[in-house]
Amino acid sequence: MAANWAERISAFSRRPSGFLSGTTAEAFLAELLRELRDDRATYSVKILLLSPLCEHSTLLCCSDSVGEETALELMSVFVQCPPKSVQFRCHLLLALTSVLICTSCVKSHSRASLDFLDVLLQIAQDTSDIHTDGRQRPLRATACECLRELEACCPGLLSQRLELLGGLRQQETSRLHQAYAELYTLVLRNAIYQLTQETGAGAEHLKALLGGNTSAAWEADQESDLTSSKDSAILSSLILGPMGTVPTLHTGPDCKELRSVLSTLLDESYLLTPLCQATLLHRLTEVVAMVPGVPPAIFRTHLLRLLGTSEVSLLHATLLLKCAFTDSLFSSEDEAFILKRLVVLSQHPLLSTPEKLFYMDCILHFPENRPISCSDGDETLPVLLTPQLASALVPTVFNDSTTLLARFNMLSLVYLEEGEEGQGGQGLAYLYKHLSSLLSMVENGCSRELIVTFFRAAFLFLYYFCHVERYSNDLTKQLCQLYFHHTKLAPHLINLADQTQDRLSESSWSVGLLKALQRVITEAPLTQLTSHDLSRHLKMLVRVADEGEIIQQSTLTFLSSIITPSSSSLCTGGDWRLGNDILRVCRRLLVHPSLDSLLTPLADVLHLICHYADMEIQDHARLYYTLLTTLSREKLAGVLAQGMEEGGRQVKKQSLSCLMGEGLTSTLTIQQTERAVFRLIEAPPEPRAGDINSNEVETGPGEASALVEAYRDQFSDSSFASEITLQYQLVHINSHDCHFDQLFSIHLHFSLTDHHYEELGDISVPCLLRERPSTIVQLTLKPRKPYPTSLHASAIFTSPDGHTWHTTLPDIHVAFQQTFLPLPVPSSWGRGGTLSVFEGLWDEICSESGDSATSLFCCQLKEAALNTLVEKHFLPFLISDLSHKEEFKVLFFLPPRSHILLKVSSEEDAVHFNIATDNWELLSHINSYLLKVTSLQEDTLS
Amino acid sequence: MTVRGLWIISHENGGNLSIRFSRFVTSNYCHIYANITYFFRIACRSLCFVMSCVSFIRRFSTVEHRAKSLAGSSYVAVPEESTFLQLLLTELGLSDSGKNYVALRDDCLYRPRSPALELHVDGPGKGILWPVLTVSQGPLILACLPLVDVPPDPRPPLASLLSVSQGLTLLAGLQTFLLGSGSKPDSEGLGSRLAMLPSVLLQVCPLGTPLDVPLPGTPATPTAPTSAGTQKQPAWKTGLHRGRAVVNVGLIETVRSMQYGNRSRQDLWDVYGTVTCKCEVEGVLPNVTVTLSLPPNGSPLQDILVHPCVTSLDSSILTASSVDNYDGSAFSGPYKFPFSPPLEPFRLCSYTSEVPVPPILGSYQLKEEENQLRVSVTLKLHESIKNSFEFCNAHLPFFNRDQMGVVDMKLSSGQLDVSKEKNLLVWILGQKFPKSREVTMEGKISFSGPTPGPSDPLCTKLTAYVKLHFKVPDMTLSGCYVDQHSVQVYSSAKPRIVTSRELQSKEYYIWNSTGTAPVSSGQMMM
Repeated sequence: MAANWAERISAFSRRPSGFLSGTTAEAFLAELLRELRDDRATYSVKILLLSPLCEHSTLLCCSDSVGEETALELMSVFVQCPPKSVQFRCHLLLALTSVLICTSCVKSHSRASLDFLDVLLQIAQDTSDIHTDGRQRPLRATACECLRELEACCPGLLSQRLELLGGLRQQETSRLHQAYAELYTLVLRNAIYQLTQETGAGAEHLKALLGGNTSAAWEADQESDLTSSKDSAILSSLILGPMGTVPTLHTGPDCKELRSVLSTLLDESYLLTPLCQATLLHRLTEVVAMVPGVPPAIFRTHLLRLLGTSEVSLLHATLLLKCAFTDSLFSSEDEAFILKRLVVLSQHPLLSTPEKLFYMDCILHFPENRPISCSDGDETLPVLLTPQLASALVPTVFNDSTTLLARFNMLSLVYLEEGEEGQGGQGLAYLYKHLSSLLSMVENGCSRELIVTFFRAAFLFLYYFCHVERYSNDLTKQLCQLYFHHTKLAPHLINLADQTQDRLSESSWSVGLLKALQRVITEAPLTQLTSHDLSRHLKMLVRVADEGEIIQQSTLTFLSSIITPSSSSLCTGGDWRLGNDILRVCRRLLVHPSLDSLLTPLADVLHLICHYADMEIQDHARLYYTLLTTLSREKLAGVLAQGMEEGGRQVKKQSLSCLMGEGLTSTLTIQQTERAVFRLIEAPPEPRAGDINSNEVETGPGEASALVEAYRDQFSDSSFASEITLQYQLVHINSHDCHFDQLFSIHLHFSLTDHHYEELGDISVPCLLRERPSTIVQLTLKPRKPYPTSLHASAIFTSPDGHTWHTTLPDIHVAFQQTFLPLPVPSSWGRGGTLSVFEGLWDEICSESGDSATSLFCCQLKEAALNTLVEKHFLPFLISDLSHKEEFKVLFFLPPRSHILLKVSSEEDAVHFNIATDNWELLSHINSYLLKVTSLQEDTLS
Repeated sequence: MTVRGLWIISHENGGNLSIRFSRFVTSNYCHIYANITYFFRIACRSLCFVMSCVSFIRRFSTVEHRAKSLAGSSYVAVPEESTFLQLLLTELGLSDSGKNYVALRDDCLYRPRSPALELHVDGPGKGILWPVLTVSQGPLILACLPLVDVPPDPRPPLASLLSVSQGLTLLAGLQTFLLGSGSKPDSEGLGSRLAMLPSVLLQVCPLGTPLDVPLPGTPATPTAPTSAGTQKQPAWKTGLHRGRAVVNVGLIETVRSMQYGNRSRQDLWDVYGTVTCKCEVEGVLPNVTVTLSLPPNGSPLQDILVHPCVTSLDSSILTASSVDNYDGSAFSGPYKFPFSPPLEPFRLCSYTSEVPVPPILGSYQLKEEENQLRVSVTLKLHESIKNSFEFCNAHLPFFNRDQMGVVDMKLSSGQLDVSKEKNLLVWILGQKFPKSREVTMEGKISFSGPTPGPSDPLCTKLTAYVKLHFKVPDMTLSGCYVDQHSVQVYSSAKPRIVTSRELQSKEYYIWNSTGTAPVSSGQMMM
């Protein structure tokens, strides 16, 4: 089981969503909790079980109440757990903290969270183990850390315990004092922040806060509970650089208590690990920034130690200190020293690359005492960073690629500022030389990483120095040579052209590069050309053809020479891909602004491609040829434009439709709607005219049996009374997709779900407009067997933008009673005639066996209810007179040949429905139908 | 000041996959579960034999909770493991290694990548995950995502986030813990140390706020009891030493050089030193002072960095900097470092120094002759250097040529190792230079082997170098030394004090003066 858990937990944390799709969060949580309570499980497994709760609390506890319950469960596990399993108890505390914070139980001060807080404070205060072996110490450390996290997530939670925590911090002499110090400083920082938000809070409030005299002086603060305040400002760092503003607490110069607390904390900070020292320093920086009564000079005695440190986080905290207090703590000499220090550290042989890069970033965002610009976030050079100082950071070929690029970027900024004269010029020359040596390494065939690095460096160089033509022109030349020998760099070069064009919109460098590349490709001798090269050349020419400014004649000459078998054998194989590559160039040329001058040569090339050895390529060439020769320029552009817009120069799709022209495809293909757009609902029945009841006393053609015979004769025509017609309304489904408000040429198609009906014909509806009344659609069904059924329906329609859509409608359900028809007899037969037919059929059915059957259906119905029932449901099918209340005779005709006859009479105990039918298979359906209608009647009356 | 998540990814080139953990392996995707609790590995795209798997992942849900409320609408959730891995590898340029160009990976648009990457998360939780910190060494990539505790828009500079430097420290600490400080990781130990991570993290980063870095090598044991005195025990001191006091101070200087043998290009060299201490001294917070001294006219120590256990520093110690113009009046010692030592060995301080001459001056000349290369090397040991090496070797690699055929060399001293398959000559000079302090090697090599030798993009044609590896015990270039008697320990028992020093080379190149040597900077640093 243990191994199984290991696997399951790892599966969960690897892909929580995937894991939970096989079960539910509730079930998994319940399983975890059950196993945690199980005494048989080992503690190492139990620690494992806690990890999902720690790492994915919100996923497992999807509501606050679940969180609360889970926390209560975990607390009971904690209480029952023997003290000696310290590790497990520590992990339990972590899990509880995670669950309670993530489900906002702490924010809402839920019972479990208050209990948990008490438990944590108890553990934190329990120093009874001081004389023992200290085995419980990790538990205390974890409890402090949990308290710190609770305070961090819900600032102000522990403000009232400040004095208690301060006392604990002072007493502790074991290594645990660090945990208390961290906790205390955070609570202090948040409590002071709270005070700054109070209007009128001042020195005495601060004093009361530190003295623990919170009950009197601090009642009001609790109401403005910051944990519920909407803004997350209190969670954020308060040290934001020149633009940031810090809330302040005006205390006047008298804040001895705070000052003494801060001095003690600072003096003992040496005893903390560097990471904790950095945090503490940052918190104290915030505190001093908020209380102007405490001078920043309080940090001064520690500065030298901090500035000399080899620890990145400590030096970083010092930089943040500088950011917060600038020249009130750091002189201009200090500033120059720190900057030099950063330059040294950015290239120090003993530091790791990430650290060095971080220090370089710090130079680019150096917190200057007097910044010239206040641009937030942008990289700006500190004034003190001279080219001489920066020269320590020039890139070399021995740098790793990220360092190389970071240095290249920084030095470019430096030399850009210096200008081309003097040192800037020399520096620029160095950078260009460096770029050239990278280029020669690429030329000599280096790793993929170095190739990418070179192109990034080239981009950087152009980004800053594109205007220096002697370099940018030379770079073009060198890149062309590079491409000539290494055509596999085509995508890199295209990417470089794209990016420089995007970023340097006013520069024409990238067009120049493309022009030069076009020359390289078209002027090179064909004899050495391999098919690989050719395919890359063609990709490059596609990009060249994107540029309206570039003359395309030479491209066409090149195409024509490679496609002509006499000059090149590359295309004789009829390679499909190669053909496509060629066509792609042609396609770009078709929309090129200088098409007028290209007409004849392009037509010639297309004509040549029409003899390409691949059928499909021939076809497309013919299509392009036809388009080119028959369509006017505007139309041609129109046909091809849409696709060009979509893809632009990034089009890399290989599909046939792409080749055809994306503009055509969307109009030619039928698109599928995401969900149903409209549906069919049953139309309200129209009042039936010409009821057979109207003809009162006419007699039929003779005897009952003869009448039945005459009735039967009608069926010799197989189409007689074989269809039922149902009325439906076509209506929009109530979703607000205005795209489909107006629909045209709707073509409805139906398909059967069983074999009881003949296939249905399609129905066309000219239009469906949301604001107009719905359209009635008549559905004609031809039953083979008159059973209830469902129909699938789908439709094709056109939207106003000319696109054709396919959509699926919700299924249509045909109920049993919808297949009922009145007895199909000539109207001249009158009531007498029909009655005779009824009696004749009834007798026949009762005497026959075979498919015929009789049955009785009883139910409790009052007389009035029965009358309503008959009027409501049976009227069209009533054979007897409505006034004849002793016995109603009803006949349902069901195409093609079935009959159900009912004699309905009220007996003493119940209403009896005597049923006779010539198709016994219908009995179950009629039974459920009667059950439904009679129970409906009962409901409405009761 | 907190991290949202922590990932440790093992990434291997070649098929050397730790199969001993595997449960099942399918053709395209391997899910390899470690039989240790918590750990699993995923290998992706085993087709190209670049194996990358997440060995350890830890998310901190409460920090995630804070991240959500801090970032508001611009919050981007941390994607699931496989997505994260794929995005990270793409950003590091390690994905699709079989493909020549992948737009996402190889775009030339420059953005500062390391140390903080941005991952472009697609799909429902779309957005940019930033700043993902990574460090990598050997087979391991370690990554973490620090909490951004300042307003996220516009993107704040890295320098404003204390969590970034703390994250870097945590990652570096974990890296040292997992791989050791040496360059060669041992994969046996790696597995067991990975297994220790949960309990290590419980101590150093239980809820996402890094409190400490794990102590390398030592398993997490409960701390030894301490006497209940009034003096607070430093949090970085794991216990108390009992027994005889021993203080060990080791000074190592490293010299690097680029010599071109060309008038138009200045030769370059630099020196940096580190002082490592191991102090076994009784007491909760004992005081020790180590003093570095220079000979009378020695040039001042620059760029001094000290360990955080150093209690105070004199401002004059920090003033000299290698990026400054040398100022004759600069402070030149003695350099006093008062500190209270941790139990384990630590680097007390480091410095750089400017020395007037390189210890060994070399010249290297190659001449292409018919089917062979004429080689001439001269090495001169400077007179100020003690002629007593632990070892001294010169490596002469030849790239982008066929394999070596006949090697015909004359040495004035030492012996020659020829490694034909590597196209490498190793000239072993041994412990001493001859009396003249000058050695030469001359001769011819023909590259007539049947197969091409190793290649290198930098060393083409006549661009070639000699690389020197040497170590000289009991000397420093700067002259810096630690006097045994200057080490002060304020404790009752008289301590035993051991000091040592040595000089070693690193990246010591002598370029062929007849070829084009690669551009290096005006200043020395590489």
